[in-house]
Amino acid sequence: MATRKIHFFTGKGGVGKSTLAAAFAQHLSNTADVTASESSSKILLAELSERSFYNHFFTPSSKKGSEQDSLNFDLEQWSPDACLREYALHLLKIESLYKLFFQNPVSKSLIQVAPGLQELAILGKATSSPRKHGPPTLHDEVVLDAFASGHFLNLLRAPKAMSEIISFGPMSEQSRSIDKWIRNPDFTFIHIVTTAEDYAVTETLELAKVIQSEFKISPKIYLNKTSGLTISSVNNSDETVLTDLVERENLARQQLQAAGFKFLEIPLNTSESNIEMIKKLSECFVRVKHV
Amino acid sequence: MYNVSEKTKALVCIGSGGVGKTTLAASIALGEAARGKKVYILTIDPSKRLAQALQFKADGNVHTINHPEIKKSGGLLQTSVLQHENVFTEFFIEAASVNSSAQADIDRIKNNKLFHQLSTKLGSSQDFTAIYKLNQLVRSGKYDLVVLDTPPAQHTWQFLQAPEKIAQLFNEGVAQWFRESQEKAGLVKRVLNLGTKQVLRALENLTGSEFIIELSLFFQAIQKWQGHLEKQVLDCHKLLVSSTTQFLLVTGLDSSRIKEAQLISQEIIKEGYKLTTLVLNRFPDWVLHDEQTANASSNDSPRLNELKNYYSRLIKTMTVEQKNFQKNLVLYKSEEVRQSDININGLLKMYSEMRALDL
Repeated sequence: MATRKIHFFTGKGGVGKSTLAAAFAQHLSNTADVTASESSSKILLAELSERSFYNHFFTPSSKKGSEQDSLNFDLEQWSPDACLREYALHLLKIESLYKLFFQNPVSKSLIQVAPGLQELAILGKATSSPRKHGPPTLHDEVVLDAFASGHFLNLLRAPKAMSEIISFGPMSEQSRSIDKWIRNPDFTFIHIVTTAEDYAVTETLELAKVIQSEFKISPKIYLNKTSGLTISSVNNSDETVLTDLVERENLARQQLQAAGFKFLEIPLNTSESNIEMIKKLSECFVRVKHV
Repeated sequence: MYNVSEKTKALVCIGSGGVGKTTLAASIALGEAARGKKVYILTIDPSKRLAQALQFKADGNVHTINHPEIKKSGGLLQTSVLQHENVFTEFFIEAASVNSSAQADIDRIKNNKLFHQLSTKLGSSQDFTAIYKLNQLVRSGKYDLVVLDTPPAQHTWQFLQAPEKIAQLFNEGVAQWFRESQEKAGLVKRVLNLGTKQVLRALENLTGSEFIIELSLFFQAIQKWQGHLEKQVLDCHKLLVSSTTQFLLVTGLDSSRIKEAQLISQEIIKEGYKLTTLVLNRFPDWVLHDEQTANASSNDSPRLNELKNYYSRLIKTMTVEQKNFQKNLVLYKSEEVRQSDININGLLKMYSEMRALDL
């Protein structure tokens, strides 16, 4: 199977991008036409992290019964280290040389010095299917729980930066080809998650504008964890905290609209179980089609 | 009431994103200055409102906050926003000046393509410059307390490991290896072992020869300062484990954050860092008020009731979980500060209203 689309989820730290990425993967797998003969899911949720968030998120509270089975996407952890290993092995070909390279104590610090090498390896893996480079992929669409805003831009910029530093050789060719796919709006989709906090909205708008001008991709924006309250519904309560909250949310909506971006609002989900939360949140994405 | 202990020279605010860490750090710095201390707050990425309130300007200059409360108490509050690239350059200039290097040497390093990459793209270099600047400010002796609002990191560990990661870069072994690789085969005094040679070739295969050349030029350029660079990195690590450096972990009230805070605090304390305080920021005290006054009126909309139940459940979870934190750690709660209150008076109020968590 060839991967047709990749979806990046980014946003300021703490806005809930991992949770929304999982909900989006669930949404895609709900809407994908699954033929009974296929044993594995068509959708992959991959987290770009050295330490897994989802391991902790989906267990142990969700171990009881078959609750977990109702999520029908595959889960992988694409740690930058592991991506680089895979990428290097593919380029170096020889297993023993690769072992020598990665088991050498000095190598770790060299990888640290090599700018953008890990980022390039991650995007190399994400775009391997259309570039027909590397092992065949099993998934139709890949949802990537990516880095926070600043680091995310570094990720997207890595292939171009690398091709500018290195003007010839296999690495240079690879970088150019990866860069081409990252800029293909039919293949690469970018989702930015924000909360109603003013600094989060500001950062989101800045990031969205850069992505639009530099990569010619229109990002999708989500206003996450809104209260779902209105001024009239909090008037009964004496709590100024609530009025302030509603006012702040209104301001965030205005800011996003004024900047000319379409966004989807995701109300704070109060489910006790994470699996239940993912399922409920996945339903929010359906509405986007009717907008 | 919350106070920073008199012995503490550096207060490092850590915690995952989205919990209002910068605002809390600013309110503590203000509160301590209003108690008569000479305080400096170093921040990374302040929100617009906070920047306006506290004159956080990304212009590389030091700004002094004038406020009657600070003046009355004889305190001082100075602020600046960390400029990673400038501080990274300062780090090299300091080492170079010790060796009385010529300006030409410094220019050579500044013009190295890799130097630019190192100072802007390397994740740990941002963390490192924050620690380096903190150390510089503490050492200056001009302040009773320096507050550091740490860069947003996925994991607190990345921040603490920054000196170690930077040290790996300036490790004599690695540098030596690259300097020799550029010499003509006949000039190599010792025979490089086969493994090293092959690894170098593999790296060249991966990155192209230009990268190796830049790397070698970089290491040749810093050769003279190597020893001092290493010493500076070591000093930074010493500061982090010093008994006068205190860590404050900021977190929020949601079940995954509470678990995360437990894990982080255990690890940090075990490794010998002085983590003494945990603050639950944006604590929904209004839910407790509501319960006390039996205000849960039937007039409330279903959604408001749903939210109240959600937060009461989290507070109940916290009541159970607070026993599972390290014994020496003091837990505080701080209420959400209204957007319109993000000004000096509002932040001073936030500081004075921080309370020990007593559920």
